[in-house]
Order: sequence, then structure tokens, then C-alpha cells
Amino acid sequence: MFSWFYIEGILILVGVNLMVVLGLSLLTGFTGLFSFGHAGFMAIGAYVSAICTLHYHMPFLVAMVLGAVVAMIMSFLIGYFTLGLKGDYFCIATLGFGESVRLIFDNLDFFGGARGLSSIPMVTTFEMVLVICFLAVVAMVLLIHSRHGRNMIAIREEELASQAIGINVFRYKMISFAISAAYAAIGGALYAHYLGYLQPLMFQLTKSTELTIMVIFGGLGSIGGSVIGAFFLTFIPELFRAFASWRLVFYGAAVILVMITRPQGLMGGMELTDVAKWAKRKLSGGKGKKGKKNEPPVLQEEGESA
Amino acid sequence: MSVFIQQFINGLSIGSIYALMAVGYSLVYSILNFSNFAHGGVIMLGAYFGLYAVTLIGGMPFLGALIIAALLAGLVAVVLEKIAYRPLRKRNAPGLYFIISAMGASIFLENLVIVTIGPTFRTYPQMISREPFTFGSISISRIDVLMFVIAAISLVLLVFIIEKTKVGLAIRACSYSAKGSNLMGVNVNRIIFVIFLLGGMLAGVAGMLFGMKYTVYPQIGVITNKSFVAAVFGGLGSLPGAVIGSILLGLIETFGAGYIASNYRDLIAFSLLIVVLVIKPSGIMGKITEDKA
Amino acid sequence: MKKLLSVLLVLILVFSMAACGSSGEEGAAEETGSDVIKVGWIGALTGDQAPWGTCESQALQMYIDQQNEAGGVLGKKLELVKYDTKGDANESVNAVKRLIANDKVCAILGPNASAAAIAIKGALNEGKVPDIATVATNPAITVNTDGSVNAFNFRVCFTDPYQGAVAGGYAADELGAKTAAVLYDVASDYSQGFTQFFVETFEAKGGKVVAQEGFKSGDTDFRPQLTKIKEADPDVILMPYFYKEVALSANQARDLGIDAILMGGDGWPSDTLFEMAGDAINGSYVVNHFDYNDPAASEVTAAYTEEYGTAPEINAYMVHDAFQVLIAAIEKAGSADSEAIAAALTQVEVAGVTGTIKLGEDTHDPVGKEAAIQQIVPSDSAADGYEYKFVMRYTPEN
Repeated sequence: MFSWFYIEGILILVGVNLMVVLGLSLLTGFTGLFSFGHAGFMAIGAYVSAICTLHYHMPFLVAMVLGAVVAMIMSFLIGYFTLGLKGDYFCIATLGFGESVRLIFDNLDFFGGARGLSSIPMVTTFEMVLVICFLAVVAMVLLIHSRHGRNMIAIREEELASQAIGINVFRYKMISFAISAAYAAIGGALYAHYLGYLQPLMFQLTKSTELTIMVIFGGLGSIGGSVIGAFFLTFIPELFRAFASWRLVFYGAAVILVMITRPQGLMGGMELTDVAKWAKRKLSGGKGKKGKKNEPPVLQEEGESA
Repeated sequence: MSVFIQQFINGLSIGSIYALMAVGYSLVYSILNFSNFAHGGVIMLGAYFGLYAVTLIGGMPFLGALIIAALLAGLVAVVLEKIAYRPLRKRNAPGLYFIISAMGASIFLENLVIVTIGPTFRTYPQMISREPFTFGSISISRIDVLMFVIAAISLVLLVFIIEKTKVGLAIRACSYSAKGSNLMGVNVNRIIFVIFLLGGMLAGVAGMLFGMKYTVYPQIGVITNKSFVAAVFGGLGSLPGAVIGSILLGLIETFGAGYIASNYRDLIAFSLLIVVLVIKPSGIMGKITEDKA
Repeated sequence: MKKLLSVLLVLILVFSMAACGSSGEEGAAEETGSDVIKVGWIGALTGDQAPWGTCESQALQMYIDQQNEAGGVLGKKLELVKYDTKGDANESVNAVKRLIANDKVCAILGPNASAAAIAIKGALNEGKVPDIATVATNPAITVNTDGSVNAFNFRVCFTDPYQGAVAGGYAADELGAKTAAVLYDVASDYSQGFTQFFVETFEAKGGKVVAQEGFKSGDTDFRPQLTKIKEADPDVILMPYFYKEVALSANQARDLGIDAILMGGDGWPSDTLFEMAGDAINGSYVVNHFDYNDPAASEVTAAYTEEYGTAPEINAYMVHDAFQVLIAAIEKAGSADSEAIAAALTQVEVAGVTGTIKLGEDTHDPVGKEAAIQQIVPSDSAADGYEYKFVMRYTPEN
């Protein structure tokens, strides 16, 4: 009963959200930093790329990369001042950043102000989103499994100990922050060229928190989880439009529930490949129930846990 | 000159609302070392509690409603602690989980009010004369004066509890080291209960005063983001810091809007926040912020 | 085991959330007989714009029922399919795509938010289905920055520039104001557009804008800005934003001892405004789409109040006219073919409750529609003690 014309639009949105969620997953799930300002990076990516294609007639991919670069520069600025501090200061700073970005776009006529930027070329296609997301996931998986990725996980687990064994904590936090900003910006660029219209109001604080919720649902510290989180939380409410107001009530409750019962989220440290292995073992009737050795590090907690 | 004085008064008035909000937030931070982002939700509920106390119960005096709002908000905060934070505390979970859980709680509360009570804003019936005190061309509204007085009384009471009572001694001990206090026979769970009760009651007072001064709506929590900024300004976990930071933020915002550019009011405040953090990373009166591993 | 349980728990939660919404929507799509003409509506039924969206959709349902009782259109019954957009632009795009592809509507009415109305442009062009916006006043909805007109976007309301020009012209010409100040919401497209054209018109007529101060949606304290405005001592202060902020800022202005005349636009009208700030806005002037006391408008007010028990927002009147234009276009086109309807929309002229509506071919906006200037005056009969008194119809000459 659902036509492709309709489904395609939602899938593009899944892709847009997935880009931002992947970035947040690296930052929150793998490095242990919490950001309230990723809608701000998304806005930067969206606006910079839109101006490039609209006013300077650049090809979309070039504009998208430019957007990502600008977002990274901004993340360096914010990160330089706040990443050395305790996590809460970083939180507040990103909150301020997100709101400030919106305020600046609201005020600048060059970006259309609060009235928005219209007539952006609508060049985002489903195929393009699919390819970019695929590349983004692959790049992220490679990063996580590299030495750099392991260092980030180490920082999340034990910041002081990581420092002690010679990991440059500040530097890795910065890299993680910058990459996540770039991912968010790419998501923003795709979004801008899908919708054809931008308005600062689209990038409110609630946007940041909703994207973070996708990461939490999918599972902190799992790329596969982020993919699943972005997919389900974009798709399901879309299929059942009338249910709207209760959605966020449940989200809020579910976030608490996830934190107190299963902070790893749906996937929690497991990857899709692990699930596949597990399924394979089950099917072939293998004995070993748990392949503990193969699992990448799960968020460890002190004290006993179930 | 009179404009300057008027702006100064405006700044104090905005700052004192931030202060009431920021103190409850800082109180929790001083013991549990995490940003309780659900505090805004409790403040918002406080505003609604006060509103219903006034409108549903005929002839309810102002002070009665204020006490009801404070008690109910305190109750909500305590319940929230029990549901959203205590299980995490038991597991000794990382700080990140606390922040996420708090964020979930704030989303939950805000949207619960939207679906049950509705998104439209409501107003308190007029309980205090709108007629301002005027001195020449300078005007001070009555509610501001009242708010200032109540904020001062609440803060003095809080300081008295913390500095002069036995519970207060335990609170101070816990804020220094929860583990150590526990070993010394302090019931940490009880202290945290008291902390959330006090924080919640302050939130109730702040919420009701905010609602009376402006209006009541589900997104009041957004304003409390400013009070978080104020608390960071003053130094996370420090009560005097929260008050000073709030007043400063109120003044900065007002003078920024009045003398620099009103359309960049928030940007000015946030930029100054970054500047403060660069010069003095722990805020103006912050306690040591190193993570105790 | 415990882990598995909690996974299950989360899964159940996610799906139950989804299931909550599935009621009420199913089934409608498939049983499309050819004896039914489907009309789509999108707008905010949840979120902070919900009060307006809810009123609009309820009013539209009422008009469609009335039309069906009177025999429908072209001998067919009308059916309304409505979707919530939460006031969000990309939700609107999805809703429009769903209306076009799954529900196969012949035309869409709404939405009430400008951002949503602009964002759906692409989807409308692809699906070749016309949309008539009700109170979305951003110029870019119908006419692009390069002057070209969007083929499937129409509206029945005036635009922000027009509203701003009316306010500016009226302040200078009729109120005789020499100086004006503006307090505006930097985060609102409505407020920015209104402000810009107010300033342009007012200054073109020899007035001087002595202060232009901004705030951000969500702010509640405007005294820093108002103190500055007070110092500039203007004759009139324009407050181009919605009634919550109007009530707060008007009260605060009076507290500070500002006695300038206040002016506003179609964001003002609301009973809550009187309740919250009646004394502060006494004597203020409002630019509105129509006169409430006009017999045609009173009829709508009475019908809506009887049906739903509350007084309607302005959306009820605007959607009335949008619906009348649509009906006329369907009749003119002689079929429910969406492209034929789009072509016919600019060919019909309808006497609506907000004036005579004729959509211009190169703007898709109503042509020559006059604004109604109203003054807020004390009233003995109204429950809140104040009412809108019609002053005059006004068009700024250029």
C-alpha cells in the first residue's frame, strides 16, 4: 500500500539521520563525550553547502565537503577551549554552541535569516544517500578498529589510566569531536539538498537530543546499533503518523529504562557481525553459547552487574 | 544614567530567577558530580503545581500555594532520583549514564505535560498588584521585589541547613567525599534523598515565581538551560558560585542587549561563558573539578 | 537471561509506541470509489502550533460535512484525509508525499507554518497536486527569489511584506506617527518579514524608526530591549509576533512606563491575550485579515462555536476561504484531476469571509485583498472585558 515515492523520502531521512547518529556514536558511544550541539554542526553543514550550490553553483559533493570542513574548524575551536575540562563543561559549551549557531543564522541576511533559505537545488537522491552512508559506515568501522579507535575506547573506559599509559587524551577527544562534527555536517548537507529549504528553526536543541536518543537506543559503542537506531526511530513514527504526541513521552521514559536496565542499548557493544556469528553457531548447533573472545569491548562498569 | 540604573535593575531581576534555578542544580552537582538536566522539568512542574493550587483551591493564599508547589516539586525530585539515578548509583555507573538518564527524564516530563495538560500557555490569576514602584523614571515591579525577598529567604534557609544542622554537616561531608562519609557512618542514601528534596523544593519555588512573573508553559525547562550556564559561570557545585554566576549572567545579558546588540543577546552570554572557562576553567568559585578515579 | 529480557522489553516498548498510532488511519486509503473526491490537509496537530492547526482541521472537517450535506461537488462526496506535521518541515514533506502517493488526494489545504509550506514545494511539483496555504505568509511560498511562480503552491492570505506595509502605512498615514520602534523575534520568519517591510514603508512615508530590537523565541523577559526603546521615545511600537510574547512584552512595556501606541498583526488575536494583558494593550491597533463583525465571519464564528464549543482562531476563517476557492476550482475544472484543478485555481473568484478571493496568475497570492485594521477597545459584553473594534479597511498605496 505504500508507494516508493513516499518510502523513498523517508529512507533519505533515515540516511540523513544516520550520518549524524554515526558521528554522535563515535563521540558518545566510543569516546564517552556527550554533546547537546550536534544540530548546530548539522546546520553549519546544511547552510554552508546550500550557499555553495545556490550562490556559487558548485557541484554538490564539493559543497558538502566544504560544509564538513567548516564544521570541523568550528569543532576545533569549541573543543580547544572545553575538551580539556570535565565532561559537564563540554556539555554546557556544546549546548551554548548549538543555540548560538542558530542565533547567528537567524540574524544573518546572507543565509536568509529566520525567513529561511529557499530554492536550494534539490539534488539529493536515494542512491546518493545510500552510497554516502555506506562509505560512512565503512569508514567508521575501520576507524573504530584502528589503533586510534581503540585509544578512544580506552579514554571512555578510563580516562586517567589512558593518560597514564601515554594516550594523548585531549588529542583523541578532539579528533573524535571533529570527525563527529564532519559527519553531522554531511548529514546536514544531504538534508538541505533533499528539502530544498532551510530555516534555523529546523536545528533546535530538540533535534540534537532526538539524534542522541537514536544512538542510545541502538546501543552505545556499537556502529550496527547506531544504524538500527537511526533506521527504526526514523521509520516507525513515520509509518504511523497519527501517533505523535506520545512519542516523545515514551522516548524519555525509554531512555531512562535503557540506562537503568541495559545501558548498552539494543546492540550494546555487539556488532551485526557478532550477531551473524552467533546465529551461525546456533544454526550449526555449536556448543559455545557465548563467544566472549570475539566481542569488542563493552562499556564496563565497576561493581557487579547482571 | 536612569537608563543605566533601570537596566541594572532589569539585570538583577533576570539574574535572581536564574539564581533560584541554578542553586538547586548546583546542590545536586556538589554531591553527585553530574549535571541534573531533569531539574528544568521539575521547575516546570513546580509552576504547574502552583498554578493548580491557586486555581483549583478557592481562596488559596500566595504563601500556601508556594509551599504546596515546593513540597510537590520536592516529591517529584525525590521520586525521580529513586527511579532514574539510584539504580545507576548502585551500579557505580559512569557519569555519562547519569547525564543521559537525566536528559531522558527531562524529555519525559516536558512531553508528559504537553500531552496531558496541553501545549498552550497558562497564566496565574493576579495575586500581586501589577502597579510597579516608581522612582522618577525608574520602575521596579512588585513581583520582582517579592521574588528577590523569597529568593533571599530560601537561600538563607538553605545555607542555614547546610552550615548549622547535623544533616548539613553530613551533606558537606558527602560533597567532600561520598565514599569516605559512608565509611564514617553517614547514610549516603539519606543524604542524597535530602539533597533532592531540597533541590526539588527550590525548583518548585523557582517554578511558581517564574510562572507568576511570566507565564506557565511546558517548555519552561528551556529557560533553565540559562541557569546551567549561570552555574558553570559561577563554578559547578558551588552554591555561592551559582548565585553570583546567575546575577552576573543576568547583568551581562541585560547590558549586552541594552548596549551592544539585543538580537545577539544569548550569543554574548555564551561567548563570555567560553571566555570565563578559558581564564578560569573551574568557574568563578568552582570546586576542584578533577575526576576522582 | 536478564539481558534477553531487557532487550525484549525495549523492543516491546518501541513497537508499542508505534502501535499506539496505528489506530484510526488504516483502511481509509484503499476503498476509494470514484464517487468520492479526496481532499488532503496537513498542519500541526501536536507541538506548539497545535492550537491553530487543531482549529483549522476541525473547521475544515465542518465545512466538508456541510458541503456533503448540500450535495457535494460534481455530484460526488468529499472526503478529508488529514495528517499531523508537528509544525515541522520535513514531517510536512513526508505527509504530502503520503497524501499524493497513497491517498491520491486531488488537492491539499494547509499547512499553517511558512517553513512547511515552502518545503513541500518539491513534493507538490513531482506529484502535480496543488496546495492552498491558509495562514502561511512568507513570500517565498508562491514566488521564488528569482521572480518565478511555483506551479502548485497557492495561498489565500496576504504576505508578510503586505502586512508590514499595511502596518507601516497605517501608522504613518492614519495614526500620524513620526517615530516608531520595533521589537521583533529574530528566530521567527514571520516576525522578520513583517519588521522589514514595516520599516521600509514607514520610512518611505517620512517616518523614522528610532529603535529596532530583537529577542529570541523562548525568551520571556524583554525589559532590557524595552528600556532601550523607552529611551528612544517612539510614537508607536510594532510588536510583530505571537500572543504569548505580545502579552509579556506589552505588560513589561507598561510596567516600565512606556505609553506609546502598540501595533501588531495577525499573530495577536486570541482570547488569552485579553486575559493576560488586557489593560496593557487597550487602544492598540491590529492588522488582521478580516473583520470579525462582518456578517459572513460571524456566521462562521457561530457555526464553529456551536460545533466545537470554543471560539475559532483565525485559521477557521482562512481555511473556509481556501476551501471555497478549491470547490470553485473543482467545479470550473469539471473534474477532480489535480492538474486541472491547479490550472483552474487562478481562474475563479470567490466571495469568502475574509473578502473577495481571486488568486493572481503570476503570484498565486490573492489579488487586491484589503487588510482590516482593528482596535482593541474595552467592552461591556465580552467576557474578557475587551474586544476588537473594526476601524477601517486599508491598502497601502505604493
